[in-house]
Amino acid sequence: MSTLSLIGQILFAGLAIGGVYTLVALGIVLIYRATNVVNFAQGDFTMLGAYVLFALSNGEKINFFVAFLLALVVMAVLGLLFELGVYYPLRNRSFLPVVIATIGASIMFQNGALAIFGPMPQKVRPVIYASGNGGITLGGVFFDYQYIVILVVTLALVLLQYLFFEYTVLGKKMQATSQDKDMARMLGIPVSIMIALTYIYSTVIGGLSGMLVAPIFFVTHKMGVMLGLKAFAATICGGFGDVRGAILGGLALGVIESFGAAFISTVYKDAFSLLLLLLFLLIRPQGIFGEKVAEKA
Amino acid sequence: MNKRLALLVAAVMVLTLFITGCGKTSKSSGDKATAPIKIGHIVHMTGSAVEAGGEEKNGAILAVEEINAAGGINGRKLILVQEDGQSSNVGVVQAFHKLLEDKDIAVIIGPSPSTQIAAMLPTINDAKIPVATGGTNYGLTHSGCQWLFRFRPHDGMSAQAMASFMVNDLKQKKVAIVHSTDAFGNGGRDLAVAALKKLGVTPVLDLGYNNDEKDFTAVINALKKSGATGMITYMTFSPDVGILAKQIKQQGLKINWIGSASVTATPARQLAGEALYGTYAVADYHPDANDKAKKFADAYKAKFGKDPDFYSSWTYDAVYVFAEAMKKAPDLKPESIRQALLNIRGFQGAEGIYNFDQNGDGLDQYNVVQNVNDVIKLVKTIKAQR
Amino acid sequence: MSILKKNSSSTTNIGFNPSVSYLAFAVGVIIVILLPLIFTSRYTVNLIILASAVGISTLGLTVLLGYTGLVSLGHAVFYGIGAYGIALGTTRWGLNWWIALILSMAFVALIGLILGITTLKVSGHYLAVVTICVQIIFTLIATNWKAVTGGPDGISGIHRPEFIVSLSTSRNFEWFCLAVLLVAVTFVWNLKDRPLGRAMRAVRENELAAQVLGVDTLKIKVVAFILSAVFGGLGGAIYASGSLYISPDAFTFDQSVQFLAMCLTGGTESAIGSMLGAWLLYFLPEWLRQLKNIYLVVYGCIIIFVIVFIPEGLWGFVNLLYRKLAKPRPIPVSKQPLSLDIPETDIVLQVENLGKYFGGLKALDGVDFIVKRGEVHALIGPNGSGKSTLINVVSGVYSPTFGNVKFLGKEVTGMRPCAVAQMGLSRTFQNLRLFNTLTVYENVLVASQRSGGSIEEVHERAIAAIEFVGLREKVHEQCKNLPYGHQKLVELARALAGRPKLLLLDEPAAGLNQTEKQDLVELLKKLNAMGLTMVLIEHDMSLVAQISNQATVLNFGKKISEGTMEHVLQDPVVVEAYIGKKEVALGA
Repeated sequence: MSTLSLIGQILFAGLAIGGVYTLVALGIVLIYRATNVVNFAQGDFTMLGAYVLFALSNGEKINFFVAFLLALVVMAVLGLLFELGVYYPLRNRSFLPVVIATIGASIMFQNGALAIFGPMPQKVRPVIYASGNGGITLGGVFFDYQYIVILVVTLALVLLQYLFFEYTVLGKKMQATSQDKDMARMLGIPVSIMIALTYIYSTVIGGLSGMLVAPIFFVTHKMGVMLGLKAFAATICGGFGDVRGAILGGLALGVIESFGAAFISTVYKDAFSLLLLLLFLLIRPQGIFGEKVAEKA
Repeated sequence: MNKRLALLVAAVMVLTLFITGCGKTSKSSGDKATAPIKIGHIVHMTGSAVEAGGEEKNGAILAVEEINAAGGINGRKLILVQEDGQSSNVGVVQAFHKLLEDKDIAVIIGPSPSTQIAAMLPTINDAKIPVATGGTNYGLTHSGCQWLFRFRPHDGMSAQAMASFMVNDLKQKKVAIVHSTDAFGNGGRDLAVAALKKLGVTPVLDLGYNNDEKDFTAVINALKKSGATGMITYMTFSPDVGILAKQIKQQGLKINWIGSASVTATPARQLAGEALYGTYAVADYHPDANDKAKKFADAYKAKFGKDPDFYSSWTYDAVYVFAEAMKKAPDLKPESIRQALLNIRGFQGAEGIYNFDQNGDGLDQYNVVQNVNDVIKLVKTIKAQR
Repeated sequence: MSILKKNSSSTTNIGFNPSVSYLAFAVGVIIVILLPLIFTSRYTVNLIILASAVGISTLGLTVLLGYTGLVSLGHAVFYGIGAYGIALGTTRWGLNWWIALILSMAFVALIGLILGITTLKVSGHYLAVVTICVQIIFTLIATNWKAVTGGPDGISGIHRPEFIVSLSTSRNFEWFCLAVLLVAVTFVWNLKDRPLGRAMRAVRENELAAQVLGVDTLKIKVVAFILSAVFGGLGGAIYASGSLYISPDAFTFDQSVQFLAMCLTGGTESAIGSMLGAWLLYFLPEWLRQLKNIYLVVYGCIIIFVIVFIPEGLWGFVNLLYRKLAKPRPIPVSKQPLSLDIPETDIVLQVENLGKYFGGLKALDGVDFIVKRGEVHALIGPNGSGKSTLINVVSGVYSPTFGNVKFLGKEVTGMRPCAVAQMGLSRTFQNLRLFNTLTVYENVLVASQRSGGSIEEVHERAIAAIEFVGLREKVHEQCKNLPYGHQKLVELARALAGRPKLLLLDEPAAGLNQTEKQDLVELLKKLNAMGLTMVLIEHDMSLVAQISNQATVLNFGKKISEGTMEHVLQDPVVVEAYIGKKEVALGA
């Protein structure tokens, strides 16, 4: 096996995992932009999405793709409940109570899932049902179909999201809300509804990421923990509150991890992204794209 | 004034806390001659180890029911008293203390994870009560503790079995070791290196990974680069095995694989499917290994609707062996039971034949099994040095 | 320095009668002695030892989160370092327990110091994430660096200390743990009303305001982190000796979250509350054992419930009840009226060619001006002309793009706000920046403690300043509950309590009604008569005209006129600037 194909394999694995980080990071960024809340339960939306899809598609009573859509709807409802139960009562308080409430929610989600679905890891079928390896080998590099789906969905979603926020009235309203709530309110935009929509959307893409990684990662109640954390790292490296940052940060993190594990140490794999994150925080806390915000006196 | 009031309230709160929380002391239950005998069982009902915890619970329950149906111990019934170990070191110690509160408990079945037993050791030494464990870490029974009894062969034996099978049966000399970086994985790695060395083989690769790894590309690359033709794994969690197996197949690596029990565990097989076909594993329990094992498998399937695994088999054996010792012992004092346990010779359990040595190790053989189209077939049983 | 000084005399401390505190301490001692006597089972003994360890550790978060408002999701790192220090020290290196303790406390304090310094760069969410990273890296190292930490196998055979008698039995050790817990709770409880604790709370409520009142906020945050680390480490040390065995899985992120939950549930700002929270949440899983696999779900619910419905925690709840019932301790009338420091130099403030650009925006573009001793110098100009920016640069809040500032003849350009404040410069803010949950008295104390002196002098100065602005009746009110006019006065009192040589007032009359404005004019006139030099930004020209004798007019970051009030008001450049701008202002 040639070195080139080895590197290609590592790169692809990194990009694919990075795509997953990106999807989770997008949810974090959107909620942060809209409400200044860092949602520590975002990783668990991934887990919930995967479990919902598992519950709906298990036994194949419903067509897989119908189940997929239904799961997205369920996630939307969950997002609304999350907004009403965790964010809304605390909307006028400082960031800390909200952060801790999201941590509480995260504990609740994980253990709720454990109580309902049990500890046994569950399997969900991939989107593209292929016999054999579930992928294709090109030039010595194995491409898992599911990873390709993840990358395609991530890119499509990023594009759609861009179009939505730039070219639709609702998107513009949501964007106005995230930029200046008071101003938006004065312009007659129903701010509470916009925020609720943001939560719903973030929950749905969080859930979507879970449904996409489920065939690869398997579904466990802890599957969102490390993902959420890595997504945070990605968000911060990219610049909190910046969508471009989430995308670049997510992909870069995946690739760095993948190469770090292959060429430095598999044991300290998780430490690379965190060290990178610490470096960013200490040297350039605003991230790649963020702007430094000074407190106005 | 404020502070006085405050502190008074604090005092009251602290006191009520205790009165409600810890004021319950156990009551001794009546007549000594016919009263049931209690067996304490630390089971993980919450946290990451619930999976194994459930199996362990089932195994013990089945054994207790069978023994009671057969008349109990000299006419006295067995009762299981379960406490949640919370899947953590602190949790198992807490649960152990809680069980020790109940003076009627004669023996205690501990958890499987080796670190948790290590955490309990100071308390076990102090409490002086026989404790059964399924923890396979070599050091556990070699730390001078007289009260710990192991119902599974230890990792030194599995390492010997794996190394011997790899080198002598599969005839592979370029062997890699892949292990999780926890107590089990690191300990197993050391023992495997030692066992291979005895057979004159130095591993070409020794690679650790962290539990819950999702992408083994780096590991697989290292395996490819090393040119290894055989792989010995000590992986703690079976989902990790599933992912590794899938990715090994996808990335086109052909390798002779023998691993610790997680390779044949149900989750790994469900998740990896045909990617695990043809792999070998060591297993302390296999239904075809002996008649008792077969009987146990049938009874387990009848009661719980699924196949047992080694978690359920060792607690099943532990209850039986404890019962045997309590039948033989003159009384139910911990020391008497301990002596009776040490005197047990040739007791056939589902896991194998129990002969306890002074360290408290009961078994000394390992089964090598193979995944043949998702059926776990017994290949051979290897007797190891203690 | 003065804020760090601990004075043993607490006679003038607010609401804190020494006999009461001794009584409370005595109650604590009785509990400590009784608990092990009442509950003798080994299960309970073990629980109490571990709960004490957790309680001590949680107190670190009380200081860090409760007092200083810094969030840490890596508290278990400190806990772990303390535990590993004792474990390695007593087993591997064969040290005496106490020496091992001192060494690990020193090490954990160093880690606290490093984390504290990161607050220079990061705050809020970012800090939370930094602490998570440190937490995960710690777990990775503890798990994988087998040569030192013993890896996942952990370390066993940990010793227990000797303290007069051997503490190797669980019962004796239990007493020791409870005693340490009592001392720790007392320390943290007392800290709250000490200058250091007050400065911490000021940083929490409003960092910028604390800075301009002379609080070295970075130092306070670093000290908070060090204290937090030491308490965390101490708890860990006790945990290690209590359980006799440690392994990395006791010091994970989950444990950090638990510490946080404990602190919050009990009440972040109270030592006793945190301790109770720790004990409650430590025992809760024990009681909820029958709930089996859903108790963590309940645990999560409790966290959300507490945050939403009892934001001050359980202790805050108790606090609310008795605050209504009990009257606060009265504060003696000041012995002498407010006294002020008069600077020795003639020129108090000299600004030369000062510029401040925000990107392309030239907020200040080469301004010169001089404030002489005894002047009330008005800074006027339309909105956005750079007045507030000027004050922010002078007080050190912004560093200038070019030019320099001399205060009392000394170069202060680019100095930190607290350093400038220490020299005797006080200021108020255009938008109120009070320490909202602190009382009026505490607000003013934060300022008065900057100029040092004994505790009595600090309190004396504070009450004199409060009496001067006429808020005597409100000393024990929380600032957030005061009407706007009073809040403005608190800010003034706070500025005065630090013995200012120069007072910068940024729109002191904005939002006041006519009566309040007139009262303010009288106060300012009185201050000027006492010799206080002031710089005044104000839009109400009639008010400015009543008190100012000198004025500088800014427009678009440049000085357009200066001189006496009469002079500048008739200057055609000024009139044009104002009329041109006023219509725009009305339109907005």
